[in-house]
Amino acid sequence: MAAVLPLFPEQHRAAPKPALLWILGLAGVASCAVTAGLASVNEELYQPALRVLLVSWITIPFVFAGIVAWRRRPDSAFGPLMILAGFTTQLSILQWTNQPVLNTIGQLCDLLVAAIWLHVFLAYPTGRLAGRAERAVVIIGYIAAVGLQVVILMLGGFNDRHLLTVANRQTAAEVVQNVQLLTLSALALIGVVLLWRRWRALPRWQRRRPAQIVINCFSLSLVMLAALLIAGAFQLPGFEIIRLATFATAGLAPLAFLAGLLDARLAKAGVSELLVQLRASPAPDLQELLAQALRDPTLSLIYWLPQYGSWADQNGNPTALPAPDSGRRVTVVEQHGEQIAALVYDATLGEEPELVEAVSAAAAIALENGRLEAELRARLQELHGSRTRVVEAEQNERRRLERDLHDGAQQRLVALALELGLLAEQTGSDPATQTRLKRARSEVAESLSELRDIAHGLHPAVVSGHGLAVALESLVAATPLDIHLTTDGLPRLSEPLEVAAYYVVSESLTNAAKHAHATRVTVDVGVIDGTLVAEIVDDGIGGADSERGTGLRGLADRVEALNGRLRIWTAAGKGTRVRAELPCG
Amino acid sequence: MRVAIAEDSVLLREGVAQLLTDAGIEVTARCGTADELLVRVAEDPPDAVIVDIRLPPTHTDEGMRAALTMRREYPDVGVLVLSQYVEVGLAMRLLADSAEGVGYLLKDRVSEVKEFIAALRRVADGGSALDPTIVSTMLKRHRSSDPLDALTPREREVLELMATGASNAGIADAMVITQRAAEKYVSTVFTKLGIPATGSESRRVLAVLLFLRS
Repeated sequence: MAAVLPLFPEQHRAAPKPALLWILGLAGVASCAVTAGLASVNEELYQPALRVLLVSWITIPFVFAGIVAWRRRPDSAFGPLMILAGFTTQLSILQWTNQPVLNTIGQLCDLLVAAIWLHVFLAYPTGRLAGRAERAVVIIGYIAAVGLQVVILMLGGFNDRHLLTVANRQTAAEVVQNVQLLTLSALALIGVVLLWRRWRALPRWQRRRPAQIVINCFSLSLVMLAALLIAGAFQLPGFEIIRLATFATAGLAPLAFLAGLLDARLAKAGVSELLVQLRASPAPDLQELLAQALRDPTLSLIYWLPQYGSWADQNGNPTALPAPDSGRRVTVVEQHGEQIAALVYDATLGEEPELVEAVSAAAAIALENGRLEAELRARLQELHGSRTRVVEAEQNERRRLERDLHDGAQQRLVALALELGLLAEQTGSDPATQTRLKRARSEVAESLSELRDIAHGLHPAVVSGHGLAVALESLVAATPLDIHLTTDGLPRLSEPLEVAAYYVVSESLTNAAKHAHATRVTVDVGVIDGTLVAEIVDDGIGGADSERGTGLRGLADRVEALNGRLRIWTAAGKGTRVRAELPCG
Repeated sequence: MRVAIAEDSVLLREGVAQLLTDAGIEVTARCGTADELLVRVAEDPPDAVIVDIRLPPTHTDEGMRAALTMRREYPDVGVLVLSQYVEVGLAMRLLADSAEGVGYLLKDRVSEVKEFIAALRRVADGGSALDPTIVSTMLKRHRSSDPLDALTPREREVLELMATGASNAGIADAMVITQRAAEKYVSTVFTKLGIPATGSESRRVLAVLLFLRS
């Protein structure tokens, strides 16, 4: 069975211990029980049952959604933040007691819940505040909620059960409180704007439905919160109803978030569809299928090639894993304990690790096939590359030898011949000396002639020096056949191309003269649509085949090393047609 | 006669200069590159230049290009191209317009001092000197219904000599016959091959080459 490892570029955080999560869950339930207890002993409380219900309605969803999120995404701080928000809601309940310290804490935390909601909503989905504006809003929110609350309490605001009163300035306290409420409501509305700004900035494909529901719910909660705070500041008549609606909405926010998590699981239903498609014939484009299943059009699929110790794309081209800060994430797919492939996808998909995991696992078998294919292509490329290098190296070596012969031995022999010639001029008419000199000169001439043949066999210098057209004209002139040569409009091309085409014609003419017993040959060489085409047709006995003649096999190597194609049509009694096509665009 | 030399091998350059000086020919410039030759010729035009086909820096076609430039810009200066190999294709390029005042010989020919000097003088005087291997190579080509088959061996010999740029007197010398007999052979060859008789010796070189190539 395939294993799937998320290879997140950032540091991993250990998953929270299940015991801790259980304790937090139980604490959440217990805190609601405490709330109910406090409400039952407080006789001044207005609509105690409803208040308990509302507080629990906030606490339980936040704590439990936080627990689920933390367990699923240990890397995200969003889960712990939600849990914190859930318990913070409970803190304000302490003001229901008459115990001075607890009451003070409760009063201090009365509006903290507004600030922490702002924090949670703006930190969605990573748990971190992404922008400067978000950070400023949240910090000001905390200062307004807690800092101003301290001032109000010191001025003797609210009731006298807390410990912070230093002066009894009710009017001033009310002014500060109004400033506090209006500030927080303004921040809540700014928060809505920030949420929408972030949403609009996402690429279209990332604006998925579950995320949209979450953002909508968060925005609605913030709007309600702003309305509640304004109603509080101006002591509007419908305050209690607005509070009810606000708390009801805020409790829905974590539920919407949970629904988003659930949707990631539901998306796995698409995996079964993927499995069906993977079995389709002919084999589908795996990368495209995975991109569809993961709803990330930027997804790329790369394969691990153990022989090369490197990653390669579907065509076998070497490729590297993305850099940690590139906004891409990588999930490595393993089989039998060995990595076979990796999915490289947008970092936002990291929010749905279960989906990535399910999709990768489903595709593992197909990935193995895909990897073998990529490996095969890489080998072919390597083989082709090495053949090209061998042909090039041979070509370079031959050219070097020809050059050495030309500049060395041949020049020296010509100088020697010249010296002998001058000597013969000066020696006078002693017949014996003249005879020996003549013999020496003819020996030198013979050596020069042999060297010339060797040099020409090594490398057709006329091709590199004067071009294919000139070289072919010489070649045709030196071949004892009736040849019709056409090289009209042939431009100068790169040396390897010209030399390869020269050898194709040369070898074909040799074959036509020596083996095929041809009398007439047509040679057409020209560039057609960015391809150098050399075609040689003879009227010989045919029957040439590339396996028999090492000459023709060598030609095919030479042509294929240049990404070209050599084809030979030959049938007994029907002549031979050789056609080389070499891309030169 | 005044001659400039372009040859990058010092050994050979000095050898040829020695050969020319011994023959009473003034060497006006001894150059290692094609560019140097063109500069020296512009300063002091000689009667003829001797150019190695492969010259620095790339040792590919620098000499050839210098020769073609000379032909174009100094039509009165004879150009004798020397090479380790002779190519029919290059001969055709060199003689594209006319065979006047041009020669193309294997480097080996310098050892045949007398013949070499004669060829050089011919080129300087506006005649031609084509390496015999070019003609013999072209004669090897087999043609179906070949008019060359109608030639006798002696007439073939005359044809080859004509193609090298030899004059009637030269043909007579080489074949050890009278000049009159040589003239007769020449006209017979032209008639048999259907080549219109042409005036100058260099024109008939071109005529023979074009006939052989067709």
